Amino acid sequence: MSAIPSTTRTWCLYAGGLLVTLLPLAVLSGDLFWVNILIYTYLFAGLAVAWNIIGGFGGQFSLGHGVFFAVGAYMTARLYLGWEISPWLGMIPGALLCATIGPLVFWPTFRLKGSFFAIATLAFNEVGLVMANYLHTVTGGPRGLQIPFKAGLGNMIFADQCIWALIMFGFMALCVAITIVLMRSRLGYYLLAVREDEEAAHAAGIDVTRVKLRDTALSAALASIGGSLFAMYIRTIDPPTLFSLADIGVKFALIALIGGIGTIIGPVLGAFLIIPAESYLRAVMGGGLPGLHLVVMGGVMLLAALFMRRGVAGALDALWRRRSRSAS
Amino acid sequence: MSRLLEVLGMSAGYGLAPVLHDIGLYVDSGEVVAVIGANGVGKTTLLRTIAGIIQPSAGRIAFDGRPIGSTPAHDIVGQGLALVPEGGRLFPFMTVLENLELGAFNPSSREKTRTTLDEVMMLFPILAERKTQLAGSLSGGERQMCAIARALMSRPRLLMLDEPSAGLSPVMVERVFDMLRSVVASRNVTVLLVEQHVEDAPEIAQRAYVIERGRIVKTGSGAELMNDPDVQRAYMGL
Repeated sequence: MSAIPSTTRTWCLYAGGLLVTLLPLAVLSGDLFWVNILIYTYLFAGLAVAWNIIGGFGGQFSLGHGVFFAVGAYMTARLYLGWEISPWLGMIPGALLCATIGPLVFWPTFRLKGSFFAIATLAFNEVGLVMANYLHTVTGGPRGLQIPFKAGLGNMIFADQCIWALIMFGFMALCVAITIVLMRSRLGYYLLAVREDEEAAHAAGIDVTRVKLRDTALSAALASIGGSLFAMYIRTIDPPTLFSLADIGVKFALIALIGGIGTIIGPVLGAFLIIPAESYLRAVMGGGLPGLHLVVMGGVMLLAALFMRRGVAGALDALWRRRSRSAS
Repeated sequence: MSRLLEVLGMSAGYGLAPVLHDIGLYVDSGEVVAVIGANGVGKTTLLRTIAGIIQPSAGRIAFDGRPIGSTPAHDIVGQGLALVPEGGRLFPFMTVLENLELGAFNPSSREKTRTTLDEVMMLFPILAERKTQLAGSLSGGERQMCAIARALMSRPRLLMLDEPSAGLSPVMVERVFDMLRSVVASRNVTVLLVEQHVEDAPEIAQRAYVIERGRIVKTGSGAELMNDPDVQRAYMGL
């Protein structure tokens, strides 16, 4: 069962599309400023794709995914600092933990719909922030955790930023591939059915809660892996960074929203529009008028919300349809 | 004949608003039973409660002798009780085929998806023709048939229909009921349907219940109710 024909051709299309996103890296690999921006772009593209599984396709507008991101970051950093466990392995327990706590905390929240669900999940983020400050034996409290620079593949610490860009690209590709496989399977259709009409899904005999919980687990685990990578990349993590709403928690949703919620390429498009623009504006305007870049970004998002209700992917889709109609 | 569905002293509602009071009814296997009532008397709530979408606040619901009052909706479908919600509630952006396949969620029917699909397509040739079309593009009658077909995909023993005639032209109503008759005959299913149109229901149903303000007030064979002066006054405007 598939709306998109299940052929190698479409797979090649997706793979080709992902490879195109490597082009800027090839061009800009000598410029550390831009490589850093690209690293964040790939990372947040992956995170927005992960969020989109339950937030977009599942219709559960979560603003609490920052918690999973933070759990992944702390778990990996703590295992590495305390027991010298390679972050490559250290990502796994964090992801498993999130696949467990995600469904547990979302379960009671699924009774709420729409904005009420979003507000309740926003509260998870705040609870997470308080707990991270409090549980200092694990998180280092307000001082956070610092990971010393000891370059090596096993340590996931690299002197060459381009390697990081490739790792983040790999994370994005993994999230996209998982989403494609999920959405072309029977399971993806159950998820869509639940989003579109919960009552009809009930009547069709779909176990609505199980479908939501399973995809929450998947989405949370991927967000956790993103957090692990983030921690090893910046090597200094503290509660205000990890639980920042503007930079982490709400951003996953925002990127997906701008790019096109509930589509496969939307979150990737969104990340490639927002992250570079935001970083560039911050660098250019930050010196003269600090905070001005936020005003500009806010304005752009407002316009996008007003004029592109289905995001960039939706707008492109509409444009494509109009052109193919006038051509025929 | 064995008793397939039995509801005893059941009450149900939404939160603090009770809708149904002390409902008692039964459906024997092989029967077609109708529940007739005006708008807002609790017909839909009755079906939703039996289907497990909402929990009864009192009383007992037994399906094939087993209590299902607190069984979750998807398990009830798994046991062989399927609901066709009012208006069909198809997934409009999915194709007809995808809608049908979604009906076979529970493990026992999933194994037989292909065979059931073939059987259902035989019953509804129009759906076979339109299987790659989006469900949202179907006409009202086709939509209703697709919804019935989707319910059949779970291989139910009891099919419950919420106002299958709602929003359809009289010709289409006739066609849907014809379809339903052939479904009953060929697939060995029992049917419980609720209807507002008292004149339609007895045509297909052997027995009927009349529901008023959340209570069952009358019961009898279809013809008896048709000729009942109270019913005629209340529902047929005679």
